[in-house]
Amino acid sequence: MVDAARQPLIEVKAYTEVEKVEGFVGNFKVTLRERAKYVRADRCNGCAACAKACPVEVPNYFEMNLAPRKAAYIPMSQSVPLIYNIDMDACIHCYKCVEACGALEAIDFSMEDKVIEEDIGAIVVATGFGHFDPTPMTEYGYGRYPNVITAMEMERLNNSAGATHGMVVRPSDNRRPQRLAIINCVGSRDKRYNSSCSNFCCMYAIKNALLLKQMNPDMDISIYYIDIRTPGKGYEEFYDRAREAGIKFIQGRPAEITEDPDSHQLFIKSEDITLGRVIEHEYDLVMLNQAAIPQPDQDHMSSVLNVAQSPGGWFMEYHPKLRPIDSPTDGIFFAGACQGPKDIPASVAQGSAAAARASRILHSDTWQIEPTVAVVWPDRCVSGKGQACGICERACPYGAIDYTKGLSAEVITAKCHGCGACVGECPHDSITQLHYTDAQVLAQIRTLLAVEPEKKILAFRCQWCSYGGADLAGTSHFEYSANERGLRVMCSARMDADLIYESYRLGAGAILYSGCHPQDCHYITGQVAGAKRAARLDKMFARMGMTPGRFRTEWISAAEGDKYARVINEMQATLDKIPESELQAEIDRLKPEMEKKLTKMNEIPGVEEAMIQVDFIVNEMQNKAVTV
Amino acid sequence: MPEKPKIALFQCRWCLYAPADQEWVDTQLPENIHLTKTPCTGRINPLYVLNAVQGGADGVMISGCLPEQCHFKTGNMAARRQLEEFNDFLDYIGYDKQRVRFVWLDLQDRGIIQKQLAAFEQELDDLGPASNLVTRVKVAEGGQNA
Amino acid sequence: MSLPFNSNLAEQVKAIPGGEMLMMCFSCGTCTSKCMVQEKLEPNYNPRRLIREAVFNFEETAFADETTWLCTACDLCYPACPQKIHISGVITAVKQLAVAQGHQNPYQTAKVDEATCVACGLCESVCPYTAIKLVEKKVPFRGMITVASVDPGKCMACGMCTAACRSTSIRLNQDFTDNEVLENLWGWLEREAV
Repeated sequence: MVDAARQPLIEVKAYTEVEKVEGFVGNFKVTLRERAKYVRADRCNGCAACAKACPVEVPNYFEMNLAPRKAAYIPMSQSVPLIYNIDMDACIHCYKCVEACGALEAIDFSMEDKVIEEDIGAIVVATGFGHFDPTPMTEYGYGRYPNVITAMEMERLNNSAGATHGMVVRPSDNRRPQRLAIINCVGSRDKRYNSSCSNFCCMYAIKNALLLKQMNPDMDISIYYIDIRTPGKGYEEFYDRAREAGIKFIQGRPAEITEDPDSHQLFIKSEDITLGRVIEHEYDLVMLNQAAIPQPDQDHMSSVLNVAQSPGGWFMEYHPKLRPIDSPTDGIFFAGACQGPKDIPASVAQGSAAAARASRILHSDTWQIEPTVAVVWPDRCVSGKGQACGICERACPYGAIDYTKGLSAEVITAKCHGCGACVGECPHDSITQLHYTDAQVLAQIRTLLAVEPEKKILAFRCQWCSYGGADLAGTSHFEYSANERGLRVMCSARMDADLIYESYRLGAGAILYSGCHPQDCHYITGQVAGAKRAARLDKMFARMGMTPGRFRTEWISAAEGDKYARVINEMQATLDKIPESELQAEIDRLKPEMEKKLTKMNEIPGVEEAMIQVDFIVNEMQNKAVTV
Repeated sequence: MPEKPKIALFQCRWCLYAPADQEWVDTQLPENIHLTKTPCTGRINPLYVLNAVQGGADGVMISGCLPEQCHFKTGNMAARRQLEEFNDFLDYIGYDKQRVRFVWLDLQDRGIIQKQLAAFEQELDDLGPASNLVTRVKVAEGGQNA
Repeated sequence: MSLPFNSNLAEQVKAIPGGEMLMMCFSCGTCTSKCMVQEKLEPNYNPRRLIREAVFNFEETAFADETTWLCTACDLCYPACPQKIHISGVITAVKQLAVAQGHQNPYQTAKVDEATCVACGLCESVCPYTAIKLVEKKVPFRGMITVASVDPGKCMACGMCTAACRSTSIRLNQDFTDNEVLENLWGWLEREAV
């Protein structure tokens, strides 16, 4: 960190919050709030005279509140930059620090927060992880029993620069503990709190146990675990070393810690799985190895950066296997545990990769994006004719559409990710998506339903999940009805109601409306828009008297090939149950209704007209090519 | 030396989670405290309390599990309904209400039963011996005198 | 011991409401260490092991396991389970299957003295397990009358019915009788009175 601060090309902005991120890859406008430190960075030399003079003591957050700090403070001794800070919430305005600072005159109580805007080419998010607070797990008594501490508290107790200068003591009586228990998976692998595994805590528990054992060879240390997970190079060897050092591993998750109210001794009762017996052990000190969870303000950061979150709250990467460093927004990258719990080597690897990916942008004059962007027909957009609309702007998960009443909507091409949500939502068919124009999709539908349409199951699949699911069903040889006809669009949000009406008008037997599971959507909230529309259509078709099951909505991930096959087979079974004549009668009966819904269809241009439009837009884009 | 108050302790067999506490209650209770272990506080027949009172016990303590932690789902609640009612009746006929006490123990309580018994003993000491209902007549099942 | 391939105990348990989550168990042992039966009554009692037996279709072992019969569904383990498995639901499911195959509860249950029962229904209302029902049946010397009847598959021997009964007609058949308790109590009272 010190090295980074000394490097002339790196500027460290500590105590600064990101308030707003606008723009797009290569051209971000980032609004930063530099919080007032009340100490001038250009004058402070980090001598600590102000902290010595300050009479106010408050709990030290960095020391897990085990030690005090002054109102004039640095967060920790290795702080970079080494500039003191006055905590205005605690300051009593005695101005002793000003006196102590003397001729340096670094302390300036008139400072205020500064809001600045910066031009940024690429963003690497490395906000790390937070810690699970075990207080709600009353069975472990954290917060009630003084001698039950968290891993982070142990970290400070065992640190030579920490509150006790590295002496591990029991908080109740400051005695050195002889028997220590470490409980793993506190709040992780626990469906009541966080169902995921925190990845590094097994190694972390072993590391702490080994360190403590080296410092206190007579200390009896036991680690309670569900499974010990030490995958990777050198990790199992480390686990072996701990066993050699005499650390006891007890397989069994304790259900309860009880405390003797007088001596504050702790008793852990757990099943020793290998023995198959419940055994109670007495300990002087218990360390809870708490779960790694997303930072408390992860949700806020997610909306500031406009990046999605995975189930569990971590930032969602573009692709879990192939693009684990990129965010779904071009030009924003993730490094370290903000994207999911990971240990130091993995974080360093991801950080280096993110820096390399970011520098690719910084060294490019032009930037290629996916070609499936949305484009507006200015002459069709009703906003340009003075009507209030703005549906497309609200539909866009990326804020890539500018809507101003009186002007036709405009797509900021570099921000567009090509989900097609705007295309699906536009009631006037005045936006289309390159490579997935209505004309192109309709041409496919018409071909797929050219022969015996009433026997066909037309499956709308999203590019990322259900298309992958269908693909997997094929490669895994899951058999499903040969009457299925698949059609790919980028996102379930692109599945325009008009396309569904047209398919039924052409006499489709059944339609599957499929996409990603809500949390998996590639386009942040695309699936949500798609699901809403599908629910609306479902209700409408029920009102029209369509046989239930002819329109079906299913969310199928790329890993659910079996589900895809099952759904299609179930749909086939539904179709088989309807007598042929009845089905034909229903299709004929609903045809005029569909036609009524499709009054705007005539306005959709043929492929040729669309191609002219597309050529024009591609030309435009090349002329306006984004430069960094 | 003044005599210590006599306490009839009814304990549900489940409520002491810590083995050390259970061992203490089982083996180290002082002479003036008598333990009756029941399958559940709900099994405590008011008859037992009546017998204890008539036999000269100065206090009755009933220790069971916390609500929601009853081994038999609702046994402790049923016990409270039944025995509180009976306690009101005892109070009416002259056995001080403070002399019958419920202690509900949490799973995590360790070393609490000793403290509770000591406190109860102290209070009974202050109240003095209970003698007005002592008949020394055993009341058996079905209400007949045995 | 080889895996019994002819049994589908796991599937049967999963089909009974309460047993659905059976396969989710990752054997952490929390339920066993929380369990009061294990602590107070039967050291060999082990819900984790029973779940394992059910997963691997060890039907005979599971039906003979004390865990199947001694669980009182107090549900201390349920809120503690990190996999949110309704453990007593699983055990009850195994027990239901055992009873359906004609296995008897090997432990004591409440018993009705039909000669004196007046069918007041107090026991039925206090029973936490709905194990007691009033039924009409032929009783020697009393003819066709209504009496309380205990379902031994459901009774957990808590004794609440005994405490509630006003005609001393229902009792646990072993271990714990009023007379024993009273004799013991009076033994102490009389000794102390001296």
